[in-house]
Amino acid sequence: MARKKGVKALLLNWRVLLLILFLIGSVVSMSIKGLTYGIDIGGGVALIAEPEKPVSKDTLNGIITSLQNRLNTFGVKDITIEAQHDPETGQSLIVVKIANVTLDEANQIKDLIESQGVLYMEFNGVIFATGTDVTVHSSDYGLDLQECPTCWYVGFELSGKAQNKFKKIAAGKLGWPIDIYLDPPVNSLLVVSPRVYQEMNSGDFMGAPSEGTPKPLVERLKEAFNITVVEYSNQTAEDIVENATALGKDKIILADVPEELYNDVRELVLSKDLKLRVSHYTPQQGEDLKDFVKRILNLYGPYVLKFDPAKGETTRLKLSGSAPTKEEALQEARKIYSVLRSGSLAVKLHVVSEEYISPTLGASFKKQAIIAGIGALIAVLLIVYFHYRRWRIAIPVASTSLFEVIIILGIAALIRWNLDLPSIAGIIAAIGTGVDQQIVITDELLGGTAGRVTRRMSALRRMARAFFIIFASAATTIVAMSFLLVYFVGTLKGFAVTTILGVLIGVLVTRPAYAEIAKYLLSLE
Amino acid sequence: MGTKKQKTKKKPSDEILETKRKRLSFLVRMEPRKMVLYPLVVFLVAALILAVHFPEKGIDLKGGVVVTVYHVSASPDELASYVKEKTGIDVRAEEFKDPITGLSGIRIYAPAKTAPSKIADEISNAIRLKYKDADVTPRVVDPTFGKIAQKQGIKAVIYAFIGMAIVVFLFFRDPVPSGTIIFSAFSDMVIALATMGILGIELTTATIAALLMLIGYTVDSNILLTTRLLRRKEDTIEDAYLSAVSTGFTMSTTTLGALFILWLVSTSEVIDSITIVLIFGLLADFMNTWIFNAGVLRWYIASPLKFSIKLRRGK
Repeated sequence: MARKKGVKALLLNWRVLLLILFLIGSVVSMSIKGLTYGIDIGGGVALIAEPEKPVSKDTLNGIITSLQNRLNTFGVKDITIEAQHDPETGQSLIVVKIANVTLDEANQIKDLIESQGVLYMEFNGVIFATGTDVTVHSSDYGLDLQECPTCWYVGFELSGKAQNKFKKIAAGKLGWPIDIYLDPPVNSLLVVSPRVYQEMNSGDFMGAPSEGTPKPLVERLKEAFNITVVEYSNQTAEDIVENATALGKDKIILADVPEELYNDVRELVLSKDLKLRVSHYTPQQGEDLKDFVKRILNLYGPYVLKFDPAKGETTRLKLSGSAPTKEEALQEARKIYSVLRSGSLAVKLHVVSEEYISPTLGASFKKQAIIAGIGALIAVLLIVYFHYRRWRIAIPVASTSLFEVIIILGIAALIRWNLDLPSIAGIIAAIGTGVDQQIVITDELLGGTAGRVTRRMSALRRMARAFFIIFASAATTIVAMSFLLVYFVGTLKGFAVTTILGVLIGVLVTRPAYAEIAKYLLSLE
Repeated sequence: MGTKKQKTKKKPSDEILETKRKRLSFLVRMEPRKMVLYPLVVFLVAALILAVHFPEKGIDLKGGVVVTVYHVSASPDELASYVKEKTGIDVRAEEFKDPITGLSGIRIYAPAKTAPSKIADEISNAIRLKYKDADVTPRVVDPTFGKIAQKQGIKAVIYAFIGMAIVVFLFFRDPVPSGTIIFSAFSDMVIALATMGILGIELTTATIAALLMLIGYTVDSNILLTTRLLRRKEDTIEDAYLSAVSTGFTMSTTTLGALFILWLVSTSEVIDSITIVLIFGLLADFMNTWIFNAGVLRWYIASPLKFSIKLRRGK
C-alpha cells in the first residue's frame, strides 16, 4: 500500500495542483481587489424599510432608483440598496446599507427614506409644478442624435394647471433658468462659506437670458422654499442658532465651514432641546463648487428655457443637455428620467429596522475576528495532535483549514462580497464541517493499520466510502442553507453565502487535495 | 478471512488510538434498548422544558430598542437612572466586557411600544449630551418587522429541515436509518432550544442561523455512523461501531474546542450566541448520534426487518 511517491509527484497531482492554483488566485484577488466589509465591521448604518402598501415589482424598482438618487446627496459614500419582493403577497422590504457615516448622518438618511421624494419645478422663484403634475412615459429618454452625438433628452408632460402657470410666468423669457429639485431642504437656514456664497450668486445659476435679468439663485430659494442663505463671516454657534429660531426654521445646514462650528451648533441645539436638524456638508475631492451647491440643494439643472411657452400648444416637453461621452449622456438621461418619475411614485416608506455601528468600533471587531480565527485554528491543531499524536496529521488538517479560509476570502474579494459578522460565522461553520470531514478521511486512511480491525478494503474503496460520507453531508448542508438564501432578507444572507461557498470549496478543492497529501504523508511511515 | 495481524511493530501513536477505543468501548457494551431509551428520555425532558419555558424572543424578532454605548465613564446603574431622568423612558442597562481586547461597554434596553426609533434617538441624544466621547450605537427594530423576521425564520427552519430529510432519504433509501437521522436532528434542535431557555439565551435571527448550522453538523455525524454500519467492511458490528465512534469523538471534540475558543474571544453578541447554541447542540448531537442512532441501527441490523440493505448496493 505504501507506494513511495516523491514530493514532486505529489505536487504534480492534479488535486494538489488545483488547490495551489486556487490559493494563488485567492491571494492575487485579495491583494488586487481587497476585502470589503459589512457595516457591522466597517461601521455604518443598515436600514430596512417597508412600503406602506403592497407594490408591484416595477414600482419597487422605481422606488429604489429614486432612493438611490436622493441618497446621493450624501456624497460618494458606499451605498447598497437591496430589495426583496414576495410576488404572492406583494409585500416587499428594502434594505439600505451605507458605510462610514456618523450617527447624525444616519438619522438624516432615515428621515430621507421615510419622507416622500417631492419633486419641484421652479422658475424665477415660483414653483410651477410638483411631482403629481409631471407625467413621464415609460422609457421616454435617450440620446438626441439630431442635436449632437452626445446629447441626451428626457420627455415629460405637465398637467394643464401647471402648464398654464408656466406659460404665465415664463412667457417671453428665453434663456432663463429652470430649476428642478427633488427633496430640497425646505424651510432651512443655509450657512455657506464666502466662496460658496459667491458661486451661488454667479452666472452658473443664471442660465443664458436673451433679455431681462432673472432673480439670482439665493433669492429664488428664499421665495420658493423659504431657504435663507447666509454668508459665513465668523458668526458664533449662538448667533446661528438664534437666527434660525428667530426665522422659525426647522433645519440648519452648514456648508464648507469649519467642522468645529458644526460640532458647536449641534451641541447647542442638543443642550437647548431644540427641534432643529443640523447637517454639515464639505466639498468632496474633485467636486467643483457648482456641483457642490447642487448637491446641498438637491438641484438638477438649472436647465435653460429654449422656447417661448406662450407660443404654440405643445403638451409634451423635453429636458435636454449634453455630456462629454455617449455613456455619460445616457447615464445623465437615465438619472433625470428617474428623478422626474420619482415625484409620482407616491408610496411612503416606513423604516422598520435600523442598526448603527460607529466606524471606530469596526477596527476592534476586525482585530477580534482575526484573534478568534487564529485561536480557533490553534485549538484545532492541538486537539487533532492530541488525538493522533502525529504532527504529520495535525499540521495538514490545520493548514488545509487555513487554506480554505484564504480561498473563501479570495472569492469573497472577487465577487465584492461585504464581509459582515454573519458571513464570518458562516466561514466558521464551513471550517468546522471541513475539519470533521478531514478527520473522516484520516480515519479511513488509518483504518487499515490500526487495532484489531482487519483490512478487507483497499485504500481506494476506503476513500470512496469517505467521500460518500462527505458528499452526502455537503449536499444536505447546501440544501439547508439555500433556503436561508431564498427566504431571508438582509442579515443572514451572508451566513448562507459563505457557508455554501465554504462547503463547495471544501468538496471540490481542499478535501480531495487533503486526501492526497495525507495519503502521501502516511505512506512515509 | 481470518484476523491476520497486519504489522508486527506498532507505533506509539497507534497505541493512543487503541487506548481511545478502549475508553469508548463502554458504549459497545451498552444494551441497544438502553441506548435508545436514555436519549429518548432526554428528548422528552427537553420537550417538556420547552413547553413550559420557551426561549425568550430577542429584539430582532419581537421589536425593541438597544443602544450600545462604548467608551463611557459611568456604571450601568448611573447611566440607566440618568437616561430615565432625562428622557422619562424606563430603561434597563447591562455591562459587558471582553477579556481579550479589553473593550467594554453598556447596553441599554428599552421597550418598543410606539415609535421605537424616536425612543432610540432620545436615548442616544441624552447620552451624547452628557458623555461627549461615548460611541453610541443604537439598534431599532419595529414590532412589525419583528413579525416578518419571525415568519421568515420559521419558514427557513421548516424548509431546511424538509430539504435535509429529502436529501438524507435519497442517500440511504431506507426508511429506518433515514428516519432515525431526521429524528436525531430534530431532537438536537429541541435540546438546543431547551438549553437556550434555561440559560436565558434569546431566540434571534442569529440563533436561528445556529440551529440551521446544527442541521449541517448533525447530518455529518449521523451519515458517518450510518454509512460505516450499513456499508460495513469490518468483521463485526461492534468493530465497525467502535471505529466510527472513535472518529466521531475526534470530530466532536475538535469542533467543540474551536467553538469554545471562539466563544471565549468574541464580544459580538451575534457570534457569542451562535457558538453557545452550537456547543450545546453538538453535545446533544453526540448523544443522539452515537448512542441513540447507534442503538437503533444495531437493533435494526440484527433484526429481520433490514430488507433493503442488500438490495441497495450489490458491490
